[in-house]
Amino acid sequence: MAPTTCVNCKEARAVIIRPKNRQKICRACFLHIFETEVHETITSANLFFPGERVAIGASGGKDSTVLAAVLKTLNERYNYGLDLCLLSIDEGIRGYRDDSLETVKRNAVQYEMPLEILGYGELYGWTMDQVVAQIGKKGNCTYCGVFRRQALDRGAAKLGIKHVVTGHNADDVAETVMMNLLRGDLPRLSRGTSIVTDSGASDIKRSKPLKYAYEKEIVLYAHHRQLDYFTTECIYSPEAFRGSARTLIKDLEKIRPSSILDIVKSGEDMAALVPNQDSGKNGQAATAEDESAGGCGSANGRSSGGEMAAMEEQLASNEDAGSRETEIKLPKTAPKKAGKAGKPAIKTQTLQHCEKCGYMSSQAICKACMLLDGLNRNRPKTEINIGMEDEEGSSTLMRQMEKIQLTNS
Amino acid sequence: MPSIEMTSPCMECKNEESILTIRRRALCSNCFQRFVAYKVIRRIEHYKPTINNNPIPQILLPLSLGVSSSVLLHIIDSVTQVRRRKPNTNKAYDLHVLVVDPTSLSPSDRTYETNFLAAKTNFPSATTFTKIPFHSIFEYAPDMKQIMLEYAGPGFVDDASRSNEERLTAFRSTITSATSRKDLDSVLLTRLVVAYAKHIACEAILWGDSDSRLAAKTLAGAAKGRGASLTWQVSDGMSPWGVRFEFPLRDLSKPELLQYAGISELLEGVIIPEEPISDNILTKNLSIDDLMMRYVVTQGEKYRGVMANVSRTANKLEPAKGVDDQFCSLCGALTGNVKGNDAGLTVASQFGNSQGSFCYGCIRSRPEVIP
Repeated sequence: MAPTTCVNCKEARAVIIRPKNRQKICRACFLHIFETEVHETITSANLFFPGERVAIGASGGKDSTVLAAVLKTLNERYNYGLDLCLLSIDEGIRGYRDDSLETVKRNAVQYEMPLEILGYGELYGWTMDQVVAQIGKKGNCTYCGVFRRQALDRGAAKLGIKHVVTGHNADDVAETVMMNLLRGDLPRLSRGTSIVTDSGASDIKRSKPLKYAYEKEIVLYAHHRQLDYFTTECIYSPEAFRGSARTLIKDLEKIRPSSILDIVKSGEDMAALVPNQDSGKNGQAATAEDESAGGCGSANGRSSGGEMAAMEEQLASNEDAGSRETEIKLPKTAPKKAGKAGKPAIKTQTLQHCEKCGYMSSQAICKACMLLDGLNRNRPKTEINIGMEDEEGSSTLMRQMEKIQLTNS
Repeated sequence: MPSIEMTSPCMECKNEESILTIRRRALCSNCFQRFVAYKVIRRIEHYKPTINNNPIPQILLPLSLGVSSSVLLHIIDSVTQVRRRKPNTNKAYDLHVLVVDPTSLSPSDRTYETNFLAAKTNFPSATTFTKIPFHSIFEYAPDMKQIMLEYAGPGFVDDASRSNEERLTAFRSTITSATSRKDLDSVLLTRLVVAYAKHIACEAILWGDSDSRLAAKTLAGAAKGRGASLTWQVSDGMSPWGVRFEFPLRDLSKPELLQYAGISELLEGVIIPEEPISDNILTKNLSIDDLMMRYVVTQGEKYRGVMANVSRTANKLEPAKGVDDQFCSLCGALTGNVKGNDAGLTVASQFGNSQGSFCYGCIRSRPEVIP
């Protein structure tokens, strides 16, 4: 059988079946089409302006590496006039971050972009390894997500840059849509689908130029351009809702490859239908600390493996409580109308500065400081106390023993 | 009176032995039935008889003869009968039951006549009890022939000399993927039921979707690019055709309805047993609807509340308003993007400009469109 020719240029031999639509195309056409699609995303959403300084949130993984490569290419091809640089966050996860940071450093040389690396250790006094040692393997994604979000903003601020681009791809966005449907979190669904998120709590704009790019195509692009990237998923990452959504999406992609894009489309429409008051629920609207950023291979979230079970428990107990309640009915129309009339006057969040660190926050104390508080309060004073014979020392030791047992169980 | 020793008394009435456990409560048969009925009645209590309820609302209940819609009919029938026994009570509504011939939907050897008759005999409160075949969509919605022709594109030749049944079968067979076929079948079925409802001047349709089904429909709708239509596909409210859609079973899961069906004698001869989705089918050959149903059922065993919450979440979305309010001639969804979604994907950006009056979701299921 003669080799299939590319359906696009009709000359070269097709070597790629596009995951997105199963078209058979050649290498050159694939690279060009992929870049053009990202270009269209950028231009139709007016992401950049000429002369803008843009920081690429770089983790050394495939998404951010491809993002950096494509942006460099497009910047030169279409004269965006962007001043690009790489911004990396060192979470302090040994065996995961050490190697990927090396990759980012090589990328900086390859793409001739300045690089800024910011560590959790220097920012917060806690590396992720230390956080995990303290709180265990469950629930640490919350810390990582909140810290990273701020770290990117702080890094950008340090460089005097107002726009950070991240490597979120179509699979990530689709996952977020499904995950938040499962979690019943419409405000996050809404935020996760928009290409630009102006975080309510800082003046730094974030965007995802790869929002419509399939993860599989990103891998293909990286492969065919022989990009230098690092492949390991974060070693700390059991997460129920995102995991469940991810499995679903992988299955959907097998059935109908376009599903990923279709979910993104659904998410975009649904985001516009989210009732306003819901987005202010629990005072958690678009604060900078609230939305997680990419870079963390498998868990951009803030939840632990037991989250699904915990929510189930919560819902069940709500229901139990509901059945014990006596419903008191108010006259039907009056309160509803008042609610509707009051709609324009939704409580908006006022931006203030965190009392502790001065970072912009919608609360008196920003989320990162709240988490840090909890961590610092329980920080065992191991090195100092462990060898001491006095009462205090032994009680510290006992507490540590208890902790060990807890972690083991 | 000496008290009778019971091993596990009903937690509600404490007079009877409990026979099953639902939502962590052990209940007797009566209390369980009352619990289920309450969940349904609460959803339709706005159809209370009033003093001057003239004209009486006409309501359609599409009955698939499956578990959920049969249970719904059973409950509504018993409520209506109780109400009728009370003196001087006005009617709350006229109930019309519609069965779309299941053999015209998917060919099978099974006859459903006896089930249909059993339903008719066991639930006598319905004003009318009608069965129609799937292809009667051409009678009740005369514009469907033209719409199908447009939709199927140049590859499809419609032979006007053939019967409606053959023409519908020919159209349905142009669609090859399991997902698109199931998607279009449900679109056509909805259109048929709506057209019939309008034909007999019904103002509302009571769909028998359990909360499991609604959760699966929500997830599948999102996965098929039909997110904007969820506001009427799984939410109570006005449909694009001016008939209200209501889902009175939205507080009950499929397993709970199965429990109910298991203890009510009146349902015995009515329900056509459902063939379970085989575990042996490769995922890629499933339809998206089946995949989601399977997901919701398996996850629901462990996380019933989380799954129930999915449709509640979708129910919170506000009804969609479009940029230009043009509606898909096939499924009734908006053809343009929802107002407020200006930067997102559009029909034109994905499929080009010559797609006629169809929406994103329907174009995706079109025969010639690459999946």
